[in-house]
Amino acid sequence: MNNLCSTTLPKIEAYNIKNVFKSRAHYSYPTNSFLYSSCSTKNGGKITLTLTFSSKKSVFCKLETSKSENNTKGKKKSSQLPTKTIIAAPEPGGAPTVSGGGAPVEPPENKKVGSRLLKGLPKKVLSVLSNLPLAIAEMFAVAALMALGTVVEQGENPDFYFRKYPEDNPALGFFTWRWSFSHSTEAIRKQEYSDTLPRASVRDLGVVLMGAGYEVFLKGPSLYAFKGLAGRLAPIGVHLALLLIMAGGTLSAAGSFRGSVTVPQGLNFVIGDVLGPSGFLSTPSESFNTEVHVNRFSMDYYSSGEVSQFHSDLSLFDLSGKEIMRKTISVNDPLRYGGITIYQTDWSLSALQIMKDEEGPFNLALAPLKINGDKKLYGAFLPVGDTDSTNLKGISMLARDMQSIVLYDQEGKFAGVRRPNSKLPIEIDGIKIVVLDAIGSTGLDIKTDPGVPIVYAGFGALMLTTCISFLSHTQIWALQDGTTVVIGGKTNRSKGELPDDMNFLLDQVPEIVESSSSSSSTQSDIVSG
Amino acid sequence: MIFSTLEHILTHISFSIVSIVITIHFITFLVDKIVNLYDSSEKGMIITFFCITGLLVTRWVYSGHFPLSDLYESLIFLSWSLSLIHIVPYFKKNQNLLSTIIGPSAIFTQGFATSGLLTEIHESKILVPALQSEWLIMHVSMMILGYAALLCGSLLSVSLLVITVRKKRKFFYMSNHLLNLNESFFFGEIESMNERSNVLQNTSFFSPKNYYRSQLIQQLDYWSYRVISLGFIFLTIGILSGAVWANEAWGSYWSWDPKETWAFITWIVFAIYLHTRTNIKLKGTNSAIVASIGFLIIWICYFGVNLLGIGLHSYGSFTLTSN
Repeated sequence: MNNLCSTTLPKIEAYNIKNVFKSRAHYSYPTNSFLYSSCSTKNGGKITLTLTFSSKKSVFCKLETSKSENNTKGKKKSSQLPTKTIIAAPEPGGAPTVSGGGAPVEPPENKKVGSRLLKGLPKKVLSVLSNLPLAIAEMFAVAALMALGTVVEQGENPDFYFRKYPEDNPALGFFTWRWSFSHSTEAIRKQEYSDTLPRASVRDLGVVLMGAGYEVFLKGPSLYAFKGLAGRLAPIGVHLALLLIMAGGTLSAAGSFRGSVTVPQGLNFVIGDVLGPSGFLSTPSESFNTEVHVNRFSMDYYSSGEVSQFHSDLSLFDLSGKEIMRKTISVNDPLRYGGITIYQTDWSLSALQIMKDEEGPFNLALAPLKINGDKKLYGAFLPVGDTDSTNLKGISMLARDMQSIVLYDQEGKFAGVRRPNSKLPIEIDGIKIVVLDAIGSTGLDIKTDPGVPIVYAGFGALMLTTCISFLSHTQIWALQDGTTVVIGGKTNRSKGELPDDMNFLLDQVPEIVESSSSSSSTQSDIVSG
Repeated sequence: MIFSTLEHILTHISFSIVSIVITIHFITFLVDKIVNLYDSSEKGMIITFFCITGLLVTRWVYSGHFPLSDLYESLIFLSWSLSLIHIVPYFKKNQNLLSTIIGPSAIFTQGFATSGLLTEIHESKILVPALQSEWLIMHVSMMILGYAALLCGSLLSVSLLVITVRKKRKFFYMSNHLLNLNESFFFGEIESMNERSNVLQNTSFFSPKNYYRSQLIQQLDYWSYRVISLGFIFLTIGILSGAVWANEAWGSYWSWDPKETWAFITWIVFAIYLHTRTNIKLKGTNSAIVASIGFLIIWICYFGVNLLGIGLHSYGSFTLTSN
């Protein structure tokens, strides 16, 4: 019996434990963090408490059970703890037993740690995932953004929005264009990248940045510019695309029909007979009544004899018997009709067409033979003489594919090989046989999948947003301080290139030789220089 | 006949050039930087690139299909991708770091591809029906480009780990070169796995003496991040195009085939890496650990699954029996 347990304590309990630590162990713990515990009973009525905080810190503490703890301050919770948290793992076939504080079973040490890790983690994940307010907030955010999208005019160029929703006079109240201009040189210098340009104008800098593809905002002496905002927003798109794929996948799993069928050439089947539903959302459609006729099944071969492609010539007929569609499908080229897709996936041989002593043609059924491995092998048997006799003998024919038939005589000796359409007769035990044709059957997979368009949309979005995510969002602040310009910048991804890029840009900012607004001291400098 | 001769010549040229380039790297790292030699190593990589390109084109013309139908061809393509990354101007600024990673990686893949192990499949083979699609080019080239970039990036992370571990142990005295690192990649990886628990506790400590090394670590960290992000894009596109193709050929866009599953695992591991990068606390060694796990996972995905030869992706499988 495993007497080791791990359970999430209710909040009040957790609070009480804090007090224990405060008063007895003087242990600092992270506040406002998730608190998990696993506890195990030990000999002598002691409990080992293992607390795992969300910050991956774990604390071990030995608590004494109610007996010895009764006279201390933490009497209330320590007497509660054992009874509430020690729930023994259920024995196979038995109900879980709740044991008191003094159960004298000592669990192995390593098991304790493992259990803590194993049991604590899913709980942590679950508790985050099952956070209902979070989910509700997400849904509200989506709904709110959609609602906002219907209010705000779509598809205009950015200038329109700046005019319509000016910074100073917010039209929507909560919806303002607020660019974080920085008004202190201190803040700018604190950025990841900072530089000072003497004798430069913030306006020139703005022009240079605009030339480099930045969105530039100027307000008095301060400048704010950014580039690659898409790179910052794209990760959100990545996650939305993943959700879309998951939704599509769920729909696929719950609402599709699948089936596979092996049809000899020349026969037909009704789609609805083959398909089976995969989930509770699967609903049959009109096109399930369509009848499929296999006009022809053929195989292409390489010169080395290996199969290069399979082809099935299919015709679709509606209920009234009218042909709706005809297509030759092959691997990688399925037939699509009314939400149904028919794939070429397999093949086999169904019959041999032969002439026996100029009579016929006869169709001999081919049976699949399992000898060794997965190689396909089919055999047919042509009885010779009295078919009612107990000692039936005949000619055996074996085929690996539709290319050649190997014939064996009544004794089982090799008689010869014939190609099906060679018209070349072979004489075995006085019987002249012409192999006319090998009739194949096509293996088709049929499915309907309503989730595919959604999944594909998700795929497209995921590819696009992943690519955009590579872009780096760069922000630049600048402030005119007299004749010098203080520049600071930061970026979220291409941190390695930022200094080089910035130096390249700043080299292009023209130096002001004479400025009307410059102070007298700089003017005299220029004059004297 | 002409084609196969040409193929042989190109294989040997590219192989010997890569070996020369590596030798040059060793020399430039051991001795002071000799500018001429360094330049020639640059040129050498470019020549290698064109040789492998020629090799692939020859094979394409000769076999009539895109040369990505089996393991040998995909390995050649992998070393082509590696040399491509080397040439991309975006990474030029950091030639030094990447060259040391890419050179040996290219020679390993090239060497393995041309070694006796895979002789049986050197012959250009026919394309099975399922592979006869335009998607082959898109899917496989994207996957292998992704593998190449991810391998480079995770190797950079592995070297970061090696440096950090060595720094802690003080076995490895500061030198201005990455040379020794390179040799100890594989050894170092095993070692770093043992040291993982230490690394987790290891907080960065910088002293003036370690200034160069901390800068190197930062560089490694940053460049492995950039290269992995790039590889992640290729991997994503590769997996998704593969899914679309599977929906055309097999009738389902996802069938939990072992190769598919492992590609997905690789994708998740590197997604975890990218997420650890967003957290300042987890940057550096922790994300490097994730990346080096990813390094192993890529090899499982690329080789391991093929070795088993199971599932729908069994075209590239090979047997290690020597007969």
